[in-house]
Amino acid sequence: MSLKDLLSPFTVWQRAFGKPYTTLKPIEERPGAKGYRGFHINVAENCVGCGSCHSICQNDAIDMVPAEEYEGIKGDSGLRPRFDYGRCCWCGLCVDICTASSLRMSNEFIWTTTDPDTYSFTAGVEETPWQDKEHGYRTAEGYNLYAPKRIDMEMMDFDESVKSFTEVVRGYTEEQAKAEADRCVECGLCVATCPAHMDVPDYIKSVRDGDYEKGLELMYRTNPFPASCGRICTRECETVCPVGIEGDAVAIRWLKRFIVDQIKPEEYARILKDTIEENGKHVAIIGAGPGGLSAAYYLRKYGYAVTIYEAEQRAGGMLRYGVPNYRLPEDQLDKDVDYILSLGVNVKFKTKVGQDVSFEQLIEDHDALFISTGLPVPSSMRIHGEEHARVLPGLKILSDVTNGTDPGIGKKVAVIGGGNVAMDAARVSRRMGAEVTILYRRRIEDMPADDEEIHESQAEACTIIEQAIPVEIMDADNDQQVCIKWGEAEMVQDPKGGRPRPVLQEDRMHVETYDSIISAIGQGSDLEYLPQSVQDECHIKWGKFNPGDYQTTELKKVFVGGDFANNTADAISAIEDGHHAARGINRLLNPEAYKD
Amino acid sequence: MNTVDEILNYAIDQEQIAADFYLATAEKAESAEMKRMLLEFADEELRHKQILLNVQNGERNLTPEQEVLDLKISDYLVEVDTTDSSITYQDALIIAMKREKAAFDLYDSMAKKLPAGNLKEVLEGLAIEESKHKLFFETQYDDYVMTHN
Repeated sequence: MSLKDLLSPFTVWQRAFGKPYTTLKPIEERPGAKGYRGFHINVAENCVGCGSCHSICQNDAIDMVPAEEYEGIKGDSGLRPRFDYGRCCWCGLCVDICTASSLRMSNEFIWTTTDPDTYSFTAGVEETPWQDKEHGYRTAEGYNLYAPKRIDMEMMDFDESVKSFTEVVRGYTEEQAKAEADRCVECGLCVATCPAHMDVPDYIKSVRDGDYEKGLELMYRTNPFPASCGRICTRECETVCPVGIEGDAVAIRWLKRFIVDQIKPEEYARILKDTIEENGKHVAIIGAGPGGLSAAYYLRKYGYAVTIYEAEQRAGGMLRYGVPNYRLPEDQLDKDVDYILSLGVNVKFKTKVGQDVSFEQLIEDHDALFISTGLPVPSSMRIHGEEHARVLPGLKILSDVTNGTDPGIGKKVAVIGGGNVAMDAARVSRRMGAEVTILYRRRIEDMPADDEEIHESQAEACTIIEQAIPVEIMDADNDQQVCIKWGEAEMVQDPKGGRPRPVLQEDRMHVETYDSIISAIGQGSDLEYLPQSVQDECHIKWGKFNPGDYQTTELKKVFVGGDFANNTADAISAIEDGHHAARGINRLLNPEAYKD
Repeated sequence: MNTVDEILNYAIDQEQIAADFYLATAEKAESAEMKRMLLEFADEELRHKQILLNVQNGERNLTPEQEVLDLKISDYLVEVDTTDSSITYQDALIIAMKREKAAFDLYDSMAKKLPAGNLKEVLEGLAIEESKHKLFFETQYDDYVMTHN
């Protein structure tokens, strides 16, 4: 050992009293930069749980997990993103794809704990110290990983559309349809909201893939009226599309239409492959509208013989007799109807139950019965003079036009009402060359008609006078015309918190003369064919049924659906009611199939 | 009617007459649902009667000056033939609205003829009660009959 080695322990001790060379960690925290990609923040009440963040994450660091307080809300999946910081790389793709702009990042980056499970958390649901941090990464204004703007749909100019009953909406080209389909984030919120729970993301994918036959097959699993719904559906699905939160909802209806438009009717049988194994049982259906025909389709697939009793001379119900050609061309409705009938559905047209055949006979001759007769009876205004010959029900105008009969409305028309029938009656009147004024007792924003219908009515030069209450119909000075007295209304807040109500101002009355007054203030059911004892047993209220699960009634063999059995009164709900009743009838008549 | 008691007795009788009317109409109604609805109206009138009985025996006051919303729906609707057994929901509501309006008009016009005082107050209170009943039926009409209008 050398002298140096001998002395080294002592020289080391010298360093113990000297100034250290190490630099201590600064006492002040140095926060992350304003745009730092730190820990995640989710404004959970703005989030809809669409799962786009989960889908785009390249590291599978995000799972969608149940969040109890958000369950059962329309347009909300009830799920929220849960982050696994063992996997996250903080790339920010999840923030950039967030359709609700609820997801962002804080500039926090320090999180110490001895519990590794802590690093997995549900942002915005579980408390975190950085939830309210002001700074952190946000998606740049105008930058989106999804396409917020809808591909425009080409439509006829409204100057031209009023001259004929030609379909107003042109439809997408293939290029447009694929671009629109590309906007879908495949969240599935639409599926839950659609009354028929159509496989929307999957059939939209079929557009992207160019596999239209697959798309048709997918649609028919839940809806045998895709050509009709692709034109006139009320599209609840689009109201919950998360792309529509900050942009335009995906045009689900138009994409449905696009798929159907690519396929000729004669190809349906080959594509859909509906083979029927007859089971020897027979179901009767009253009403060949969308509810009845939908039930017929699914019952045939179950193997039941089906006979529909229809009072009119053609099938389609309100889709044929209440929706004009410029919205739903007859050949498109026929595409849907003809395919259903081609499966061997027997229809007795111009046959009124209660007159040509008794309800009791139907019950006796069949194993089950589905009733879907809708709301065909126009409501009356119950004002003096309403029985005047120049007061015409809106439904009659529409059915006359369907039947090729001139409804004789004249050149100056008033339409009373604010629903779709009123808008259709108004636009049909325009096409017959009339000047049209729509009188509605509430505000335009209160109108139950589809916004699109209201907008297009106005674009086609229908004048809407809102807050106008009809009070009397009177003779004009000639018998080809009629006068209407109406008063202006003030909207008053309901003291019990309901919707604002119109109150007539008796010092602001008007009298106008028209060639016709078209009344379209609502419709009711016609249950004359139903024995009183059956009506009583079924607890019908306000002329409507209140069915149980699977569209059942208090009578074991009798099922109901459609406008007189639901609160939405639209085609898609009637279609689903028909399908659901078919399931219910199958459970009744084929219980073996449901035993575990 | 010169005293508060006479007026209240009259009003109480009127509520019973109204209840009896709905019971008789329910008897004639063809459908069980209409019967049920009319019996509910009869119950409503009996409830009004009880309120007035409570006023008479001092257990409560009539509603003081308070403007009640008047939707004026019944004012321009045609009368319904109450002898028709195929009465509908719309018919039943129109009948009820018009009966309440008639009662309101009666008490209101009587009140207007009187100088300020207890009698006038009682009649005004009764008119307010009837206008509340009318509002109930008019709201039902607005909600269930005027759905597209």
